[in-house]
Amino acid sequence: MTTAGSRGDQRVAILTGAGRGIGKGIATVLAERGYNLVITSRTREDLEGTRELVEQAGSAAVVVTADLKDPQTPSRLLHAALDSFGRLDGLVNNAAVNIFAPFWTQSESNLDEMIETNLTAPFFLCQTAANYWVQNGLTGAIVNISSAEDTIAYPEQVPYASSKGGLLSMTKVLALEWGPLGIRVNAVSPGSVDTEMTPEIYRQDAPRFMPIGRLGTPEDIGACVHFLLSDDAAFVTGTALYADGGYMLQ
Amino acid sequence: MRGRLSGKNAVVTGAAQGIGRATALRLASDGANLFCVDRNGPALAKVVEGLGEGHVAFTADLSLASSCHEVVAAALEHWDNQIHILVNAAAILIREPTLEHSRKAWNLTFDVNLKAPFLLSRDVVASMIEGGIQGAIVNVGSIEAVLPGRGHIAYTASKGAITMLTRSSAFETAPYGIRVNAVAPGVVATGMNADLREDPESWKEMPSGTPMGRHAQPEEIAAVIAFLASDDPSFVTGAIVTSDGGWTLH
Repeated sequence: MTTAGSRGDQRVAILTGAGRGIGKGIATVLAERGYNLVITSRTREDLEGTRELVEQAGSAAVVVTADLKDPQTPSRLLHAALDSFGRLDGLVNNAAVNIFAPFWTQSESNLDEMIETNLTAPFFLCQTAANYWVQNGLTGAIVNISSAEDTIAYPEQVPYASSKGGLLSMTKVLALEWGPLGIRVNAVSPGSVDTEMTPEIYRQDAPRFMPIGRLGTPEDIGACVHFLLSDDAAFVTGTALYADGGYMLQ
Repeated sequence: MRGRLSGKNAVVTGAAQGIGRATALRLASDGANLFCVDRNGPALAKVVEGLGEGHVAFTADLSLASSCHEVVAAALEHWDNQIHILVNAAAILIREPTLEHSRKAWNLTFDVNLKAPFLLSRDVVASMIEGGIQGAIVNVGSIEAVLPGRGHIAYTASKGAITMLTRSSAFETAPYGIRVNAVAPGVVATGMNADLREDPESWKEMPSGTPMGRHAQPEEIAAVIAFLASDDPSFVTGAIVTSDGGWTLH
């Protein structure tokens, strides 16, 4: 299944946090399935690696290094999509920060960093994309990468969990408000995913704590993102798809 | 319940009006000593005057992190390091269409509705742990975390964030015997929606299908908060107590 060619040429999506981890898996899957991408993170080196993966999959990627806390970033990313590909079909808010510390020692600056990156930046990216679509009589789809922590708690991650709880509510409001405009907004909420940041002990322990017996892969999450961006999900909006290997069932 | 909170020291924010005011009145009538916080000094003074002897009014703008620190420091000094209860009731709601929602409105909303509860909880929890106090924190969420309304997205996202602030801080403080819960009110007749109530047309737009056929009075929410702040729910933590007249049932 591919969406390539469904509008005459390849679809285009903006993907944040594209240099590492889940972002790289999302980029790979979207590229394999016919998306050209605007990929962004703070680190050019990481993004160049992702661009190679996208090109190996037969699609094109434009690299934009950006600080998501900069208010100018959303319009820079939109213009990168329009300048390079002439269109924008989707937005994937994947970038996130998680700083671990016991609740009573978390600093104000940690809270700011996580709320601004994980929640404020996605909001203004959504707003920028939606304004573009609405003003041009177009429609689009947005996927926010939330977390199982939008619902369940883990230790030492109060600001992160708060940001994801907010992101989930935000996803629902946007879906409600923009449904009539033809803009769908959904979330994918991953559980434990195997990335370069994953400690080896997690991998070894996975059969014990994961009902499906393994950690998720970044490509597992990418496939969910692709589904929610695609027309197969045309009647799906305001939902969170929990891709957690059954962890939350326990 | 008279005397249920005898000898307990309680900090209540947003105490000059609405749910915060009703909570201050209720906790005082249950026997607690109140440290009431609001930015509206004259209105706050009036509320605290009505509570009787021995209660404190503290004027502070909780959108400033420095004020949050001052609030906890002043309450700890007043009560010889003994805070037993914190109720985070202060919140703002800014109505701006989502596509034009300003960064200023977004940031101010999160400063008051999320960052202040975070900073106040953090400092209060630290004092409880240090003093071996098995206290209670009650946050005010909203059913909008689950069932969003239109036209005030920062507020709704902040309430989603409060839901997870509650659950994740409860998870971390549970080993210390500190309970953190939230009430999630439906529509309550407060200053936050006074303008809507004056205009029957807009008020009609509020979901009107509440099974109980009416909106709540602040005292009804305060009663739930008083329960959560008391020792009665000694095994309840991380709970979001929906108090919405059945709105979210359907």
